[in-house]
This record gives sequence, structure tokens and C-alpha cells, in this order.
Amino acid sequence: MVETGFRVTSKGLLNSDDYLIEVEAPIVSERIRPGQFVVFMTHENGERIPMSVQKTEDGKITMLIKKLGKTSLELFDYEVGDSLYAVIGPMGNATPIKRYGNIVWGSDLVCGYAENWAHCNALRGVEGNYVISMQTFPSKEDVYLEEELRAVSDEYYITTLDGSYGRKGHYLDILEELLDEGRVDIVFACGDIGRMRDLARLTEKYGVPARVVLRQIMVDATGMCGSCRVFIDGEMKLTCIDGPMFDAHKVDFDEVINRLGMFKDAEGKAKERYQRQRGNR
Amino acid sequence: MARVPMPEQPVEERMSNFHEVPLGYSPEQAIKEAKRCLQCGESQCTVNCPVEVDVKKFLKELSEGRFREAFLTIKESNPIPAIAGRVCPQEDQCEGACTLGRVGSPINIGKLESFLGDWAMENGVEEDFSIQEIPQKVAVIGSGPSGISCAVDLRKKGYQVTVYEALHKAGGVLQYGIPEFRLPKKVVDEELSNLKKIGVDLMLNTIIGQNLSFEELREEYDAIFICTGAGAPRFLGIQGEELNGVYSANEFLIRTNLMKAYKFPEEYDTPIVVGDKVAVVGAGNVAMDAARCAMRMGAEVTMVYRRTRKESPARLEEVHHALEEGLNLMELVNPVRIVGENGWVKGVELIRMMLGEPDDTGRRRPHPVEGSEFMIEFDTFIEAIGTSPNRLFLERAEGLEVNRWGGILIDENLQTSIEGVFSGGDAISGGATVIQALGEGRKAAKSIHEYLRTARAPKEYK
Repeated sequence: MVETGFRVTSKGLLNSDDYLIEVEAPIVSERIRPGQFVVFMTHENGERIPMSVQKTEDGKITMLIKKLGKTSLELFDYEVGDSLYAVIGPMGNATPIKRYGNIVWGSDLVCGYAENWAHCNALRGVEGNYVISMQTFPSKEDVYLEEELRAVSDEYYITTLDGSYGRKGHYLDILEELLDEGRVDIVFACGDIGRMRDLARLTEKYGVPARVVLRQIMVDATGMCGSCRVFIDGEMKLTCIDGPMFDAHKVDFDEVINRLGMFKDAEGKAKERYQRQRGNR
Repeated sequence: MARVPMPEQPVEERMSNFHEVPLGYSPEQAIKEAKRCLQCGESQCTVNCPVEVDVKKFLKELSEGRFREAFLTIKESNPIPAIAGRVCPQEDQCEGACTLGRVGSPINIGKLESFLGDWAMENGVEEDFSIQEIPQKVAVIGSGPSGISCAVDLRKKGYQVTVYEALHKAGGVLQYGIPEFRLPKKVVDEELSNLKKIGVDLMLNTIIGQNLSFEELREEYDAIFICTGAGAPRFLGIQGEELNGVYSANEFLIRTNLMKAYKFPEEYDTPIVVGDKVAVVGAGNVAMDAARCAMRMGAEVTMVYRRTRKESPARLEEVHHALEEGLNLMELVNPVRIVGENGWVKGVELIRMMLGEPDDTGRRRPHPVEGSEFMIEFDTFIEAIGTSPNRLFLERAEGLEVNRWGGILIDENLQTSIEGVFSGGDAISGGATVIQALGEGRKAAKSIHEYLRTARAPKEYK
């Protein structure tokens, strides 16, 4: 009952920043449910990084990752056959997969797309659910997962911020139209934290429930450090063991956004350092 | 005759590294110190030891240069001498009871214990015993001090023991909590490697209640020992705790010790942000550890404590070292709120306290002095006000009864509300010492042995 190996079985760029990586992790693969996440470490001295899992297959998990900091750059440099130090999970709570009615699932960032697919894939199987997926990308060349998401949704919308593909703008514009039409029973979202704040305000205005997946900074991800604390209706909750999904209307987004920036300078330094070293190789 | 002084890293030198502060006795110094033992009849040192190490005997052997025998004498009661010698509050235990202490300084039992532990490691000296296999299986949840001692004792009796650890390194608080300069991780890893050597299975990255359920464990094992510790941080619950620059001591220490953030970004990838002026709330061992880590990362550290130094529950040596290293200990103050600027800690409002009647710990209870609030500027705020049992496991362990603050309820044999499931260490006590946890691990091993011997036939094994 011990998980070893964590061999990379497939890897590929999705756009200029985002990549897909498939890793062997049989236990996680068998047990993870939508909403739950993993913590991975590239090597023994690495960070513990919480990460969404898009899908699982034959003892393998697929993660979608943005080349953002040192660890994500480093992982992208792993070749098929290389092994990660650890993939730990499933962590966090599974989202109840039940009848919600008309569901909108919105995403505008890498982890969001993964969560979007994982959830819709499960939610669509429940009788009485009608799943509407929405994706937003900056531009046409950034688009990925469109076909896959269409396949697990009853209705699908795509927007680009520059209008080069799909509708111009953010999916929140389309969401607002659907809310106007009274077609939405619940909204789920994961992605850009600022836009999730907008989403919370918008849905609150219409009195429609909304759930957001938060990705706060974690260390152990087992409830020990308190780094991922958020305030839900004024009460301290830990994203790792109480979340990662919360009622959007109760989240203090300003505080969440602020805490996400705590290690920005340090992370920037580590990234630069890695890029410099990599360039020298 | 006075105590043989312990050579230490000079203050100015140690503030720029995380190496151990005491440099350890040489064999000659150790023998000399052990010779001071009066070999008195009382052996209060042993009586006062939570695991009843035969101190008198090992000191005698050590004083005669018989290191191997001395080491094995300790090992009979304590599976991790190199660790315990470094972290036990000896002044409250063996050394506190030493007859020599009445007239001068007690024997430095702690340092002699760790000397022997280190010596054995360096010379590859190990206990000699044979294991008669028993098919019954025991799961130990947590690889901290009580888990280690329980696993070792049960394995020696022949049981098939598996230790489950949530983190990527074994040792629990020894690994994530206690800093390198107090307990080198090499020592922890080395003493833990003994587990594997005697055939204990160690499963890292396995979180019971999360990726493996308690029910699955109950189905598979004949008995379970829960030693999940008290890993959940407590927060003061004051305004401003959401600010950047506010850490639980747990987070600060996990980043520093487990993730080695002080070697970021050169060798390790986990960052830590430490400001120039750091406040640490609390004055226990954890507070001292956090403060001393912060000072080594270049900060000026003020400890804000609602009582006085006299009431501090920290080990004497830690207080002594911390003050030597420049800690500013501010007594009789308590934080009221944390003030921020641009999302970061800017300062702390404190209120003066005064001591009243003793509480149930025997320490005088602090009361706020009305209207005495004042502000001090800080850019980092670390809360070391205690921990609670981790609710992740407790919430998912059906049928396991806990008390009001989440401590697992046990009977006199450490058995929980579930038959065959035992518990010990901080999971039941909420936050005690390494050696107490170790003692409970040993006691649990005895109870589990008794239970398995008498209560039931082994499960069917596939």
C-alpha cells in the first residue's frame, strides 16, 4: 500500500505557457474524486505543490500546469520516464456529485480547466443535471481542452479576451445572460481569483448559489501549518482540509487575493535562478 | 567537583548557521562527567524518568569506559537516546532529581545520553536480539516519538508492524518541529533507520482518513495505535491574522525544519519570508525554536509573553541559548490586534498583563491591565500559543471518542473507545514532551501485546 514510481508517462505543451503531464500514481488514480487534489514534489528538496487533477486512467493521473514558478518550470523539464519524488493524495474534500439542476461551470485558468473537466465529467452522469461549461482564454492560440469539455457538457461556450476565437470577452458576460434568462441553478468556478470575486458578486445579485475552488498556498496540506487559511463568513477555515471548494458568497476575496501574494518576491527569485541555471546548461 | 562544561558553538558563529549549538562531549569529558555520579542509593533520576532509564547503571558503565554496555542499558528503556538526550526537559526529570543538584550542579545526564547515542551510531553499535515472528499485524498511525517506541517494542515481540506517516519524511515533530540546531536531522534519520533494520514497515505520504481510511486499517490490522500528535495550530483569534507576515509557529517551523526554507533558493525550493523585526507570541519550546530560527535568518526577535520568564514552560537550555543569542523577552504583555499596511503586518497592539491567582497548572494566571494598550512595529508575527490534535484524522475516525478539545479518550491501558485501538502521545495529551510520548508508546505496546495475546486469534491473512 505504498505509492512509488511516479513516472512521467506523457507530457506536452497545451499553449505557450500551459502543459499537460501524465504521471503514474495508482492509488491516487483509483481514489481521487472531483474536487480533491494532489500534492507533488519534483525532488526531495522540492516544494510541496497542491495541484488539480484533470483525469485519471489506468493508474495514471493527468495534471494541467502553467509554467509559472521554479517548480512548474522544472517539472516541465522532466522527460517521459523520469520520476517525481512524490505524488501525494487524494487531498481535500470531494465535491458532492448529485443533482443540482442547471449547472454552469466556468474556468479561465489552467487549474480551472482541469477542475471544469473533472467536475462536468462526473456531474453530467447524474440524472436531472444539465451541464453548461464555459472557458475563457486570452487569445485563440491559447485555447485547449475545448473538444474534451464539449464532450462532457450539455452546452458549451468559449470566449477569448481579444475576440480572436469564440465570443469576445469573459465567460462572466455569458453567465450574466444566462442568469438573466433564469436558466442557472448553481455556478461552479475555478481560475483567476479576481474574476471569481466578480462571479461571486454577480451570482449573489441574482440569488444564485456559487461554489469556487480555492488554491491557496499550502505546505503540508494536512491541516498542520495554517498557511492556506481563509475566512468564510468570518470563520477561519483551512483550504486543505475544509476545502478546497467554498461558498463563493462567504469568501473574503480581498484577503484571499492578498495571501496569494505572500511569497511572490521569493518565488520570482527562485524562478530567475532556475532559468539562469537552465540557460547555462 | 563542578560539571564538565559542554563545549558550544560561540554565539557570533552560530547565528549564521543552523548547526547544533552544543558540540558534544569527547570520550574523556564524558567519562569525567559520568564519574561525578555518587551512585547514590535513591536513584531518583530513574524514578523521575518517564521511561525509567537506569541512569545510575549507565553512568557507572560509562565512567568505566564501557560505552557499549552503557548504551545498551539506555536502549533497554529508550529506543532513541541520541534524540531524547537532546530534547528532554532533564531539569524537570532525571537531572532535577539528582542528589548532586542539592549541593552543586547535577550530572549532565542528557548530554551523556546523547553522547552514547551518537557514539553508537558512529561505531555501528546496535542492540543484539532475535525476533520470533508472530503473524498478527499492528498499524501505527504517526511516526513521531510515541509511534517509534510503540513500533519498536511491538516489533521486538515479533508482531508485523506498519507505521503510517502523512508527510514525506518520518519522525513527526522531531522532523518538522524541532530545529536542526537543537536536533540535527541526521540524528533523527539515523535513529529512525533502526525501525527499518528491525523490520518495521514505514509508509510515507499516507494520510489515514484521507488517502487510506481508518476503516480499511481496522479491517486489515489486529490492533491499531493512534499517535497522530497535536499538529493543528491554534490561532489567537485576533484581528489581523489574515495578513501576510503572520505565521502559526507550525507553519514557520515546518517551512524551516521540514522544508529547509533557510536554504532557499540555493538548495531547497520552499520559501520563507522573515522580516527585520519579528514578534513571537508565547514562551514555550516551540516559541523558543521559532524565535531562534528567525534570529538565524537575520531578524531582530521580540518574544511577547503574557506571563514572566519564571512561568515559561520551555527547557532551561533553550531559554538560556535564546537569550544568549539576543532574544528580547518581553514579559507580561499580550497581543490585542495585528495592524497591517498594504496587506502586510505593520505592527502589533499589545496590552500589559499582571499575574493573579495560580491556575490549574500552578502558574499564576495573567490578567490584562485595562487601558495599558500600546503599539510596537513588527513586520512578521509568529503565533506559538499551542497546538491541538489534527482534526483531519479525528473527523474521519468513526466511533473514536474525543474530549472537548479533540484529545482522544483512553482508558488506563491507553485503549480508546474502540476495542483494539489504542492511543498515546500528544493525540491524547494535547502537547507534552518527546519523552512522555515515548513512554506512552511503550505503555501502549505493552497493552497491545496483552490485548493480542489474550483477546483474540489473528485475522486471516491473505
